[in-house]
Amino acid sequence: MAFIKKSATEIDAVDHEHHREVKRDFAGLIAELDSDNPTSRRWAVRDLAHTHEACPELVARLSIESDASVRTAILSALAHLGGEIAISGVVNCLRSEDAALRNEAIEVLKEVPNEVESIIESLLNDADSDVRIFTVNILESLRHSNVEKWLISVIEKDPHINVCATALDLLSEVGSEQAIPAIKELKNRFAEEPYICFSADLTLKRIEEGVQ
Amino acid sequence: MKHILVIDDAATVRMYHRNILETAGYRVDEAINGIEALEKALVKPYDLYIVDVNMPKLDGYGFLKEFRRQEDLSQTPAIMVTTEAGANDRALGYAAGANLYLTKPIKPHELLSYTRLLLGDLA
Repeated sequence: MAFIKKSATEIDAVDHEHHREVKRDFAGLIAELDSDNPTSRRWAVRDLAHTHEACPELVARLSIESDASVRTAILSALAHLGGEIAISGVVNCLRSEDAALRNEAIEVLKEVPNEVESIIESLLNDADSDVRIFTVNILESLRHSNVEKWLISVIEKDPHINVCATALDLLSEVGSEQAIPAIKELKNRFAEEPYICFSADLTLKRIEEGVQ
Repeated sequence: MKHILVIDDAATVRMYHRNILETAGYRVDEAINGIEALEKALVKPYDLYIVDVNMPKLDGYGFLKEFRRQEDLSQTPAIMVTTEAGANDRALGYAAGANLYLTKPIKPHELLSYTRLLLGDLA
């Protein structure tokens, strides 16, 4: 008997059909989140991505999910669903020991400026300096009118050098004239730190050149 | 002239490292994340890699793990330079394949001393 190899498209189609054979109601999809098969779990997440009631289960799954593609699907679904439970679930990933999960969460949060707006200030005041650094990372491509104001506030007040350094890096791209006094003050505050002096001089030069 | 790849998503950090290393006579290339770094390393291996941890697309741990799987790159020195100062982060860095784990902000003389040490350039 001749062996006919299926194309990747055919295999995907069969796979898709197989994993959609299970009952696609809410309870069936939630049960599928515990499937041994990552493809089944991923399909369940995708099918739950429009159901707000699924947020608690998706958040809970995030902390135990071992497959990167399922995890990415969960983060995207939560960002799409929005709301306090979903966004808190993504934000909690900033405290994870897993760098890949943290970075995925940062990328997802950058895409939902309106959802993130109300929690940025509390995250910038978090007791954990790493969380404050990741929050500055979120601001990097967050299209929001307060980004510069938040960054200026960080370099004026944050006691941790690496939080200030991360904010200064971003100000070198988005800073305007109104950031100049705070950058000069930061340079005075960390006058013994070569990186801050280098970055502050570079940022001031860029802003001043942009003004001319 | 020895050739170093600086991998960091922050442009200012890359420039800072480049300034220090080029002033000391090294050639420097840059990559903005682990994926771009892997692509560059596979085309033309470098003498030393200076790697950040938190970067989009592929973080520093992921880069080092993948990098160490490549037979011809497995022995090349790599310094992880990051804001993550915890003991667990340090352990993760060494487990991923870093030869040295340094926390930011790094002073120019520190970066140069460790670079020379790993490249065998100490006088």
